[in-house]
Amino acid sequence: MTPQPIIRVENVSFAYQVNQDQQIPVLQNVSLEVFPGEYVAIIGHNGSGKSTLSKHLNGILTPKEGDVIVNGINTREKQRIHEVRSRVGIVFQHPDNQIVATIVEDDVAFGLENIGTSAEEMKTRVDFALEAVGMSAFRHRPPHHLSGGQKQRIAIAGILAMKPQVLVMDEATSMLDSYGRQDILAVVRKLHREGMTIVTVTHHMSEVAEADRVIVMEGGRIVLEGTPREVFSHQERLRELHLDVPDASRIAQLVHSEYSEFTPDLIHNEEVVAEVNRLYVRQAEASGS
Amino acid sequence: MSAEFELTRNITIGQYLPTASVVHRLDPRFKLGAFVILILAIAICDTYVGNLFALAICIWMFQISKIPLHYGISGIKPAIPFIIILAIMQLLFYGEVVNGGTVYLKYGFITITSESVRLVIVSAMRFVEVIFLSSVLTLSTSTTELTHGMERLLGPLEKVKFPVHAFALIITIAVRFVPTFAMEMEKMMKAQASRGADFGTGEWWRIIQRTKDMFPIIIPLFNVALSRAEDLILAMEARCYTPGASRTRYTQYKAVGKDYVALIASIVISAVMLAIPW
Repeated sequence: MTPQPIIRVENVSFAYQVNQDQQIPVLQNVSLEVFPGEYVAIIGHNGSGKSTLSKHLNGILTPKEGDVIVNGINTREKQRIHEVRSRVGIVFQHPDNQIVATIVEDDVAFGLENIGTSAEEMKTRVDFALEAVGMSAFRHRPPHHLSGGQKQRIAIAGILAMKPQVLVMDEATSMLDSYGRQDILAVVRKLHREGMTIVTVTHHMSEVAEADRVIVMEGGRIVLEGTPREVFSHQERLRELHLDVPDASRIAQLVHSEYSEFTPDLIHNEEVVAEVNRLYVRQAEASGS
Repeated sequence: MSAEFELTRNITIGQYLPTASVVHRLDPRFKLGAFVILILAIAICDTYVGNLFALAICIWMFQISKIPLHYGISGIKPAIPFIIILAIMQLLFYGEVVNGGTVYLKYGFITITSESVRLVIVSAMRFVEVIFLSSVLTLSTSTTELTHGMERLLGPLEKVKFPVHAFALIITIAVRFVPTFAMEMEKMMKAQASRGADFGTGEWWRIIQRTKDMFPIIIPLFNVALSRAEDLILAMEARCYTPGASRTRYTQYKAVGKDYVALIASIVISAVMLAIPW
């Protein structure tokens, strides 16, 4: 039996209405499925529709045509939108613009207050969420004294408290310095290990390499899809789409073009090191014998 | 010069001074309630002795909340011009309005009576008392607690369709974004100054010029505020916020003995203040 997808995006088209008779199409007939426990990365250059797609995943935007089904609930069903949004949480780009309250723990509780959780239940969930992102020590602090990475961790905690099944990161690391980004990635990695489904929209190819599946968007359409290894092997195609590949991938391909023994489809830095080691050992054995 | 751009270095929201006194630990609902009662009593009380008593109580409140009195006095300083102007106006024009008392002086339209003198002195005292009281309140209560307390106290108004929740949320968000905008403004001032703009260097009497100088800051600030607001709405909606829907509350307040004592004390103090006949 194949597992049921958590999110089903079916032939979705979307356009921003500029004025009465002018529309800018953003998504064109996009279909995709996200399965429980998966780690999906959506990439594409600016204006490819990736952010718009991510906002469809919990009904912040509803499609012009087609449907988005979250756990059997169509995001068009306004009465059940809370169910959808507590299943699929989104962390946005700007750390400052998603914190509502003046105290960290109040902010984490904000979503719970909205869905009418009881006070005792809220307490345990806020404790759990702050613990999960490693911010328990900051619970009584005002958020403006925190760093960007810490604010983003609070934003994630606010989502986690609602016990979602899917965490969507809408370029959530793009405003952070590299230290903050590592921080957030570590949290996301941990959540994924614990069974959370992750959908990340990003520019950073090193984040993409960690995903199980990569979706490449261009002009509102999905143009490439596959494991990171498959996707990054299409270097020419990605270059046409103004997308980078991870450094490891580029190095592997460059070495491969000079020295055909070297495996070209590497995506992690460690793999490059291992490959160099492998070839080095082999050469040493060959010259030794 | 450079110090004028450091908007965020010393930012304090509200002026909370954590001394962990008993006043700090009061339930904010009861603290606000007691505060309102005392303010009302001060507004009604128009006797010398009554106001002296109130003043003594105010100073005593600084004592028990372990807040140095100079915090209250520094709050009065900016109000002094108003107090003086108000006193002069009352002295000049209230003699005819307030009935009774002996006439001290009558010159043209100016009448000064013992009653108008009392009004002047009592008004000035009220000013000081109210500033002291509100200083104690804001110094001993964080803005978060204040908003919570206010939300709970206004709760009954929800029955007449007053949007209490929304109102409290507006205040919370406003407070939350003060440092953010201060930082934003600092950034813009530095950016403009590095391109040769002048802020606050013109003479103070050239008000129009100095106001104009602020436009290159204010307009982009509004712009930023609007785009931040849009982001915030998205983030709030993504966390199931529905305007007007009922919400539960994370912070729960439970009144204990000392809270009731504070409330009753404020009532007793008010009664004494109003009962003093002189």
